[in-house]
Amino acid sequence: MSERDDIGRILVSEEPLVPSSGFAARVLEAVEEAAAEPPPLPFPWGRFTLAVIATFVSVTSGLWLLLRMDLSPVVAALTGVWPELGYAAAMILVTLAMLYAPRLRVAARRRTLLRGAAPWSAPRARRRA
Amino acid sequence: MRDGRPADEDAGDARRVLAGDVAAFDGIVRRWQGRLVNLAWRFCRDRMMAEDMAQDAFVRAFRALHTYHGEAAFSTWLTAIAMNTYRTAVRERPPVAFDLDPARLRGEGPDALTGMERRERSAAVRRLVLTLPARYREPMVLYYFEEMNLAETATILGLREGTLKARLHRGRDLLRRQLIAAGLSDLESATDE
Repeated sequence: MSERDDIGRILVSEEPLVPSSGFAARVLEAVEEAAAEPPPLPFPWGRFTLAVIATFVSVTSGLWLLLRMDLSPVVAALTGVWPELGYAAAMILVTLAMLYAPRLRVAARRRTLLRGAAPWSAPRARRRA
Repeated sequence: MRDGRPADEDAGDARRVLAGDVAAFDGIVRRWQGRLVNLAWRFCRDRMMAEDMAQDAFVRAFRALHTYHGEAAFSTWLTAIAMNTYRTAVRERPPVAFDLDPARLRGEGPDALTGMERRERSAAVRRLVLTLPARYREPMVLYYFEEMNLAETATILGLREGTLKARLHRGRDLLRRQLIAAGLSDLESATDE
């Protein structure tokens, strides 16, 4: 008998577990509670569709107005203050990076810990030990 | 593990439940409780948790009963719901840290193994399956639970048979490596039949 067959035989040959005597009654109780719950609210498709249409109309009309406008005074005004605008944008980026970097590091550490819990993902030296 | 119940009993009970007779769900629970509890047990090895997981699966099945149209066997539909429920429940638990104790499990040789040692070794192999990554653990557990029915296992997991075979192969390889590392590759004596 090969080793693989043995693994399969062990996994197939497990003694069945008998549910406890009150299990079916508990399930029925839970099912009756679920049946007594009010039905979930249906998704408001009408409102959703209206909102999508309204958004589309707003964006389209905004773009249309923007393209029709003479933007040269605005561009000229912005050109005058571009270094300040650049500093402001850089500070926003730095702030966002400072906010998210620690979270990303914690998430990466957590992923490493979870992987480390599986025997085959442990470092080779530790696995041998 | 297969119950072999007539499908029309389940379909009949499902129709009655959908018509408003909640008590008719009792028939479904009684017919399938063993299967769902045993499948849950194989994912957690904890009786209380297995019963809680199976109960959640039944409640989810009750809520989703209107989606059963009889295209697949009732058992396949119910097991697929149970698998989704168990997947979520197992994901919420901390990863299984399982340490084989070769000194305790190895014994002095096949002839020297007592019945208890054999059972312990078999239990160790079964629990070791729980340490596999989910993509290998689920096919391994379900395939052997389904008594090696490739087609049904693939349907329940929503995989193609080729993919399932590859995952089973990889899962067995990972398991074998662990067993060899623990000096338990001589599994012939580990069966408790």
